[in-house]
Amino acid sequence: MFATENAYYPDYSTKPIQHSFSPYADNGGSVVAIAGDDFVVVGADTRLSAGFSIYTREQNKLFPLSNTTVLGCSGCWCDTLTLTRILKSRMQMYHQEHNKVMSTTACAQMLSTMLYYKRFFPYYISNILVGLDNEGKGCIYSYDPIGHCEKTTYRAGGSAGALLQPLLDNQIGQKNLTKVSAESITQEKALAILKDVFISAAERDIYTGDNVMINIITKDGIKEDNFELRKD
Amino acid sequence: MFLTRSEYDRGVNTFSPEGRLFQVEYAIEAIKLGSTAIGICTSEGVVLAVEKRITSPLMEPTTIEKIVEVDKHIGCAVSGLMADSRTMIDRARVECQNHWFVYNENMSVESCAQGVSNLAIQFGDSDDDGAAMSRPFGVAILFAGIDEKGPQLYHMDPSGTFVQFDAKAIGSGSEGAQQSLQEVYHRSMTLEEATTAALTILKQVMEEKLNASNVEVMTMTPKDLFHMFPKEQVEEVIGKLT
Amino acid sequence: MSILAYNGGAMVAMKGENCVSIATDRRFGIQAQTIATNFEKVFQMGPHLYVGLPGLATDTQTVMEKLRFRKNLYELKENRLMSPKVFAAMLSNLLYEKRFGPFFVEPVVAGLMPKTYEPYICNMDLIGCINPPNDFVVGGTASAQLYGMCEALWEPNLGPEDLFETTSQALINAFDRDAISGWGATVYIIEKDKVTIKNLKTRMD
Repeated sequence: MFATENAYYPDYSTKPIQHSFSPYADNGGSVVAIAGDDFVVVGADTRLSAGFSIYTREQNKLFPLSNTTVLGCSGCWCDTLTLTRILKSRMQMYHQEHNKVMSTTACAQMLSTMLYYKRFFPYYISNILVGLDNEGKGCIYSYDPIGHCEKTTYRAGGSAGALLQPLLDNQIGQKNLTKVSAESITQEKALAILKDVFISAAERDIYTGDNVMINIITKDGIKEDNFELRKD
Repeated sequence: MFLTRSEYDRGVNTFSPEGRLFQVEYAIEAIKLGSTAIGICTSEGVVLAVEKRITSPLMEPTTIEKIVEVDKHIGCAVSGLMADSRTMIDRARVECQNHWFVYNENMSVESCAQGVSNLAIQFGDSDDDGAAMSRPFGVAILFAGIDEKGPQLYHMDPSGTFVQFDAKAIGSGSEGAQQSLQEVYHRSMTLEEATTAALTILKQVMEEKLNASNVEVMTMTPKDLFHMFPKEQVEEVIGKLT
Repeated sequence: MSILAYNGGAMVAMKGENCVSIATDRRFGIQAQTIATNFEKVFQMGPHLYVGLPGLATDTQTVMEKLRFRKNLYELKENRLMSPKVFAAMLSNLLYEKRFGPFFVEPVVAGLMPKTYEPYICNMDLIGCINPPNDFVVGGTASAQLYGMCEALWEPNLGPEDLFETTSQALINAFDRDAISGWGATVYIIEKDKVTIKNLKTRMD
């Protein structure tokens, strides 16, 4: 009669309840980057969410590290905040120790080692580092959370990464096409494709939407752009 | 010279009332007992030449190593206490490899010297890192290297002070050699001229007669980077000396 | 790993102007190991009716045979062809019968309605929840990739040739980014008076 384990009255249960703590959150977000001969464009949506709720519709996920290097982050936002603050100070320390601005290639390697140093408690971030290399050519480095680094010319990462990567393979990598043009991609074309793929992602990925922040990196510096996505 | 010698010349971390650290100054003096080393920096590259003191005919000359490779793009010539120099060269190598590991690029010559300098001043009281070194290193180093700024030559003394030079001599014959370097050095010098000049000066300041087994010669060029002269090449250069 | 991803496979169906397409990969594997590259996952169920059953391969074949049995019985009893819409309802019903011990397939149906030849496509989950949209449906282990591709490539009123190109590009580029589907593709273009079946060569890695 006075059963202590009654499913209808969990408050009166005397069984021990196991509580658990998860150190990670997935706050979503997508980053897309496209590199050309003398430029690189990178875009990130501005929605920050957790589960079915949206924290903010205007969170910038692009972090300029120097005049030629930008990092795009998506995943666990608290890890992003920490990582980018450490990166910023590492950039400054390098500048003071070596009397020069860290190059994109050096930064790419440093990020890889920084991520690997947390091999057993990783930063839960999908990182895409973009910039101009020492010859002024656009380059993109993408990472897994424990520091595996790959150099590419286009990349989609974050919550809509799986949706967008095959699209970039087709539209920029010219995969599975019979007519392949030898010309390298122009800045206008890269921007147009970037916008198109984000519109596609926003249709199907609930963690991608609201706005897209774009950084266009050329020898003249970093130019910002912005366009709207669906907000539902 | 050391008229003010007093109890202040014992502690490595005690300034004398005149504001001097005697142990450091003595360490600098210790270099002047070392074998002579000469470095010349040209637009084509850097050359290092050192004398090796063969104190006994039973000695194996090749086991005396006074010019060493730190990385493919940085070489060092040392003078003074050779045992101390091992520790410093080890640090220089670790700094270079660590820089390559973290940044995937060659360390600049200046940064490498800075790294070794940090080690050179770690004498004195122990701190959090554990036991400290009891005395300064009795070593002077010439860093010859190539980085994004081109060929460079740096000199570092036991106090950890490092300065860039066009041409520099260290060791027992350094005073005379430095004077001669000042006379022969000019900006448009070729590497070949610099190599000949270095050996000519070395020949003048050395007590023994210069030959292929009691000198070491190394060049650092953008094309070949660290290149230690084999015996035949040293003989060839010596043959050209007047 | 989900049992739905045990054998791998990708599938897509699209609506066009008076035509529909359904396309699939041809791989049969056991987890990462590829066993065959000529595996059928799309089956003809009528002159203008096809069903694709991506998921667990054994259930693909069982469900296909159960469907064929029920459809034949319907056509004998009713003496008329089964329309795609009815077929989908029947399939949904079949799957829901096994609500608590389901077949691990995520079906895709594509066809033209009898008489009107109006395009019909739908997909459903493994317990038969029907989703009949106006543009395209996807299924299998490369569904995320397919959504991205289709969302960008599909447009209304595609003719049969354009529909073929759009469907195959969407499928091939999607499954090239999925390790457990690919190894060749088959595309079916269903029109009023003909059905075109094309086998496509794709990268085999």
